[in-house]
Amino acid sequence: MRPGDIVLVVLMVVAAAASMVLVAQANASEKGSLAIIEVNGREVMRVALGAGQASRDFTVKGVQGPSTFNVADGRVRMVRSDCRDKICIGVGWIDSPGKSIVCLPNRVVIRVTGKRGGGGKVDSVTE
Amino acid sequence: MTGTRRVTNLALLVSIGLVLSIIESTFPPLLPVPGAKLGLANIATVIALYMFGPWMALEVTVLRSVIGGLLRGSVVGLFLSFSGGLVSTLVMIFLYVLFDGTFSVVGVSVAGAVTHNVVQLLAAYLLVRHLALFYYMPYLILIAVPTGLFIGFAARRVNQSLEGLPLQAR
Repeated sequence: MRPGDIVLVVLMVVAAAASMVLVAQANASEKGSLAIIEVNGREVMRVALGAGQASRDFTVKGVQGPSTFNVADGRVRMVRSDCRDKICIGVGWIDSPGKSIVCLPNRVVIRVTGKRGGGGKVDSVTE
Repeated sequence: MTGTRRVTNLALLVSIGLVLSIIESTFPPLLPVPGAKLGLANIATVIALYMFGPWMALEVTVLRSVIGGLLRGSVVGLFLSFSGGLVSTLVMIFLYVLFDGTFSVVGVSVAGAVTHNVVQLLAAYLLVRHLALFYYMPYLILIAVPTGLFIGFAARRVNQSLEGLPLQAR
């Protein structure tokens, strides 16, 4: 072992620690996510989701009629929908990237993505 | 070194690398982190570098990862081990040629192990395009330090034993 070896090993451990901090920071900034609302496959609205935000209702016009969803404290849920089975309302709150609420009859999809509007942390979620 | 001797030594080193990676594949995973392995096969590259020089090290690495990938039958694995192996060998050659007085075989091996893991992760990112992969980065760098040390000490021990043998005789 030469002194250079020891310096190298110490440097690598420091690099690992630094990347750990970077990853933790990137992870923290990823928290604020986005709800994307699509009707018939076309994006009609984007709502930013953030912790502690006040409750707000939004309405979009679906194929059969209006769909109203509620955004509060970084979560989103469907509250009223002009469809027969109300499955979309039954889904309840969603908050993490990759999750979605789908109202098939009304062709309304609400999906949560990461901040950059991409796929978020996971490609898809099966339930 | 004559042609025959050279080819024989190259074949020996490639075989050693392949057998070591097969042996290693029977070990249980060190950590629940994909890509975190001992990298025993790198011993062959390090020995090649110190006993026969940079060119031999490069040949050993390329042949080992291509043949190893074909043996395992995984194109993705071939791509990952080829990219990681190639860049880490280039880094080791760089340190060996330009900083031989600064780093011993142990330091060179650690640099190679870290580079291997980092490049492999970048290559995996090219395939998967998923930023979540980089969560593994700190752990992959960290695990490369002890494995690189181990490989370096092992290679040094082998080199000491090989020193007296007429491997490089003309």
